Amino acid sequence: MSGRFAASNKVAVAGYAHSDVRRHISRPLGALALDTVRNAIADAGLRPEQVDGVVAASLFPTSGSHAAADGVSTVTAGWLAQRLGTDPRYVSSFQGIGQIPGAVATAVNAIAAGAADHVVMFRALHNPVGRYHANTMREAAGIDQWTVPQGFFGPLSMIGLPYNEYLQRYGADRESMAAVVVEARKNGARIPWSYWYERPLTTEEYLAAPMISDPVRRFDCDIPVDGVAAFVLTSAERARDLPHRPVYVSGYAGGASAARRLPLHWPLDDIMTGGEATVRRLFEHAGVKPEEVDLPQLYDGFSPFVYFWLELLGFCPRGEAHRFVQDGRIDADRPDGLPVLSGGGALGNGRMHGVPQMLECYLQLSGRAGERQRDRATVAVACQSSPHYGGAVVYSAAPF
Amino acid sequence: MTASRETESATEPGAAARPVPVPDDLSAPYWAAAAEHRLVLARCSACAAFAIPPDQICPHCHSTTPGFAFEPVSGRGRVRSWTTIRQAFLPGFDRHVPFVLVDVELVEQEELRMVGRLLDGPDAPVRLGASVRAAFEDIAPGVAVPAFVLEGAR
Ligand SMILES: [Zn+2]
Repeated sequence: MSGRFAASNKVAVAGYAHSDVRRHISRPLGALALDTVRNAIADAGLRPEQVDGVVAASLFPTSGSHAAADGVSTVTAGWLAQRLGTDPRYVSSFQGIGQIPGAVATAVNAIAAGAADHVVMFRALHNPVGRYHANTMREAAGIDQWTVPQGFFGPLSMIGLPYNEYLQRYGADRESMAAVVVEARKNGARIPWSYWYERPLTTEEYLAAPMISDPVRRFDCDIPVDGVAAFVLTSAERARDLPHRPVYVSGYAGGASAARRLPLHWPLDDIMTGGEATVRRLFEHAGVKPEEVDLPQLYDGFSPFVYFWLELLGFCPRGEAHRFVQDGRIDADRPDGLPVLSGGGALGNGRMHGVPQMLECYLQLSGRAGERQRDRATVAVACQSSPHYGGAVVYSAAPF
Repeated sequence: MTASRETESATEPGAAARPVPVPDDLSAPYWAAAAEHRLVLARCSACAAFAIPPDQICPHCHSTTPGFAFEPVSGRGRVRSWTTIRQAFLPGFDRHVPFVLVDVELVEQEELRMVGRLLDGPDAPVRLGASVRAAFEDIAPGVAVPAFVLEGAR
């Protein structure tokens, strides 16, 4: 029996909208989300009352002392559905890690099951005032007591440990990562709504930026922002009657169950072993082979994830990604370059949590990428988060 | 043994105190031993494997009644990775930055890994596989937190 999904290529993305991405947007996040959702519905050629499903990815990802308030620092599907002015019959928020693959899976399942015909799926990100990850806790109770008292806290040490493990194990230079970050910022600088619009980064600037959790430098981290993106998904049949060329969802996979560790302790072997399982399931579910992928949009919320995904997706041997990314081989402007960050990623757009990867897959495969449009973009993969905790989605320009 | 007896000067004027652990039913023996500068770890009564941290379910044999009991361990291990923290995100760590966090695999069990501060300072000659042993920081009266020092470095 094949592991391929019965719903493979039966659901398609039919439209999208994206807000500006800024450090702080003066409007409330909920209002921005509702506008963006309405714009996406219009982009798909639909009226709001035709959209009978609302799906959100609603995690508010911070280690700081920020309370999550619905409609302010996060927007759930329920919050938005209540204010859409229609009566959607399917409303669901995905709360886990790997928010975009998780939300896409929720939307696809709902449509394949007949729970909804047209689903609007959105992600609203908020950057609270004050330091994003600073926490004023005086007592560490529950799970925090095992890490916080010794100063092991937050996502910078989370990524600093496996990144250094990689560098030490494979004898890689931390300067090599400049190629990844400069490529993300080059592409992000061309996207009008990006926080980094018209602000590319040079290798010298990357190297001159301070270390913040060695070997992690400042520009290895995406910048927290306010921003919203929304997508409309529907059945492949209905999508063919809508204005834009459909992009089919061939399959998805999420990290299943990583080894239990201390909170935010992600050893390199956990990432890669769990990631192998994620990628194996992804290709089985989608019914494609890794070598058929011509647009792999890799997750880059922290730059080392680009190395991990490159190796797991099979574009280079284990331990070789730091060499693979050199000499323009991931330069999306070169005909022979592998476009892993052609949509700018999170490093080139701001902390949009998997949105830039999904959006670039949609824009390229639907022929809507404008000046960035590639001659050949047929099978795409959008990755999010760490390979062992997050997930990925395979998109196709044609059903197969 | 000065490193293992490093004492926080949390009482100096204006210095914020570090977050203190709040022992609970499961963790109380761990913190009681730490206060005496002894490292004890939770061991599953069903399969005898250590777990960091203990949980409702044993991460090794998946027993729902693991009956974790804390047993002394050597505190010896080898460095699997490290990172130098240059920004303090928690109260009381400003005066420590930059400091090194080490990811240590303890000798007692394969992949039994613990993360703590390396008390030898930011310029210590840490490398992959370096031998370390547990040390303790006294951060408040009756409260000590496990950390590590390089073996044979001083
Ligand atoms: Zn057990």
